[in-house]
Amino acid sequence: MSFWTRTLLADAGPLLHGLYVTLSISLIAFVVAATVGLGICVARSRLPVLTPLFAVYIAFCRNTPIFIQLLWVAYAWYELLGWPKEVYTAAWVALALQSSGYLAETFRAGIDSVPGGQIEAAHALGITPLTTWRRIIAPQMLLTIAPSLMNQLIVIIKCSTLVSVIAVPDLMFQALRLTGIWGDPVPIMSFVAVIFIAVIMALSALSKSLADHTRARLGS
Amino acid sequence: MYGLSIFWDYRVILWHGLLINLLVFLLSSCLGLIVGLLACICRLSSLRPVRTLAACYIEVIRSAPELVLLFWIYSVVPVLLSDLLRTHLSFDPIVSATLALGLVSSGYFAETFRAGIQAVPAGHVEAAQALGMTGAAILRRIVLPQAVRLMLPELMSQNIGLLKTTTLVSVITVPDIMYQINLIVQQEMRPLPLYTGTAVAFFVLILILTSLVGRVGLRGA
Amino acid sequence: MNQKAYPAPPAIRVVGMTKYFGTVPVLRGISFELERGKVLSIVGASGSGKSTLLRCLNYLEQPTSGEIWIGGQSMSFGANRNGARHGPPPAQIARIRAEIGMVFQQFNLWPHMTVVQNVMEALLRVRKISAHEARARAERYLAKVDMLDAAGRYPAKLSGGQQQRVAIARALAMEPQIMLFDEATSSLDPELTSEVLDVMRGLATDGMTMVVVTHEMGFARDVSDRVMFLHQGVIEEDGTPATVFSDPRSERCRQFLSKYLG
Repeated sequence: MSFWTRTLLADAGPLLHGLYVTLSISLIAFVVAATVGLGICVARSRLPVLTPLFAVYIAFCRNTPIFIQLLWVAYAWYELLGWPKEVYTAAWVALALQSSGYLAETFRAGIDSVPGGQIEAAHALGITPLTTWRRIIAPQMLLTIAPSLMNQLIVIIKCSTLVSVIAVPDLMFQALRLTGIWGDPVPIMSFVAVIFIAVIMALSALSKSLADHTRARLGS
Repeated sequence: MYGLSIFWDYRVILWHGLLINLLVFLLSSCLGLIVGLLACICRLSSLRPVRTLAACYIEVIRSAPELVLLFWIYSVVPVLLSDLLRTHLSFDPIVSATLALGLVSSGYFAETFRAGIQAVPAGHVEAAQALGMTGAAILRRIVLPQAVRLMLPELMSQNIGLLKTTTLVSVITVPDIMYQINLIVQQEMRPLPLYTGTAVAFFVLILILTSLVGRVGLRGA
Repeated sequence: MNQKAYPAPPAIRVVGMTKYFGTVPVLRGISFELERGKVLSIVGASGSGKSTLLRCLNYLEQPTSGEIWIGGQSMSFGANRNGARHGPPPAQIARIRAEIGMVFQQFNLWPHMTVVQNVMEALLRVRKISAHEARARAERYLAKVDMLDAAGRYPAKLSGGQQQRVAIARALAMEPQIMLFDEATSSLDPELTSEVLDVMRGLATDGMTMVVVTHEMGFARDVSDRVMFLHQGVIEEDGTPATVFSDPRSERCRQFLSKYLG
């Protein structure tokens, strides 16, 4: 086992950096996707005429495989727009693109889940739409969709492993690079696999306890 | 348009690549369904250790990123088996892909199977028990017919997800459609029409499949 | 004049039955006997343990302690090595259940089968009679509850009262010794309860042994041979309808009945 510990101690630096890149790309993509998703929801209600456009956008984001989206953003967009200039940017843009479709639907389901009667009661009491949104709809919506949001973050982390293919130095990339250097895939690949599984299992557990908490608070 | 004619020129190898995707999809789907069913049966077993083991397997396999599992099975497992069996083994890329994607999907299928079975109302089972029916008959005549109807839409959409995931396998040198597209891009140096065309093609394909599933789901309800 | 050498055993005999859900006692020492052909109504507030008592009789709930005999057959308990009680083997439970019919509050018809298939299912799987015979018997009992016309329809298309009548036919078709009714009309709209109560009345007249958990006091008073008032897992009142309804000894029973009968 000392070979393992020697290897891992020597590689702790690059692996940690890889983990940092993985998590930061995932978080950035998640925040951007959530913003876009929420924006689409709000825009859909304000400008119903644009609904078909949004529907196509969401369908495209959800139905196109992430690998294709990644290559498309990294190379095709660059040829057409000259942007994104770095693979790091392409990585989170592609991940955000994929998730924005799912999150737009998630937010919509969350908003719809707030019973209409509560909104009517608020309006009947003279509460303005904006305050109704802020105090009645949004809090309940967030509680309801928190587990789904968490799950989408988990999906993003899983998909982020792909960015190693376009040479972004994430955890997966480090694993492959170090395997190439050391020649023995067993310790590095296994260790990295365990890290990924552990991180994701921890987030899943968090998501589950969020769901239980919500069910207790809102009565399912 | 200049862009689209590239697809026509390379249509043969693109078609072969797509067939490889379909092959991996079919093989891994079968593996996933079988393993998933086994895992679900164990998960619902009356023996505590079997239940716990199955639950752990499902939890771990669902937490593993597909790409990680692909590489791990392609590079690590042959080495481990070689050491164990004292021979030199290597896995064919398609075999590795099938194993990896099959195992990953088995986790999702297992949960779908379980949800379907547990969605059958307890009252229906009690009514059967109250009439004196025993476990196997109840499962066969009352629970499974309803459970299968409940789980079909989800299973089908998970299979579409699996089809999308087969686009990953080029990273372990499986000659699928993405592999071919990347080769063509390197040769023709025209990523814009090629990647855009591929994205649109897959978008349309998956959209059609998803709508079909949605239609069947509604009719079955 | 012929005399039987031994009197027929009671349809149901319960001695000292208790039931705990975890640490919560739901039944505390229930003992009673019911003769064949008699109708017993069990009344009481929610949470008094009435449904649990009923469900222990056909072992949908396992009693924590006590003895139950159905038609003289013991639903015996043994103790395993740790001293914990365990019930009869599953095969025996299934056999005894075939002699007990149960009608549920939620009907519990199987939605993927037609009405007649619902009634035939247990005949085919448990009684193991031929499909031809099963169908004939099913149609006979559907006619008895006046649902023969709906034989080929699916439960989802029927009203609550219709579904419950089919459920009764399904239980009756097994030709059980005893029929258990677990709040059979509580889920029904008021205008639909009478059609079900009429069927139950008919069964009583035909001499079926019945245990009926109900809130329908009119039925309890007019159709039962015996009424039991349950409170927090204990039988507080047990007698003929005349006794229990007009002059109950228990104050709680008096209060309970006054709420229902005005």
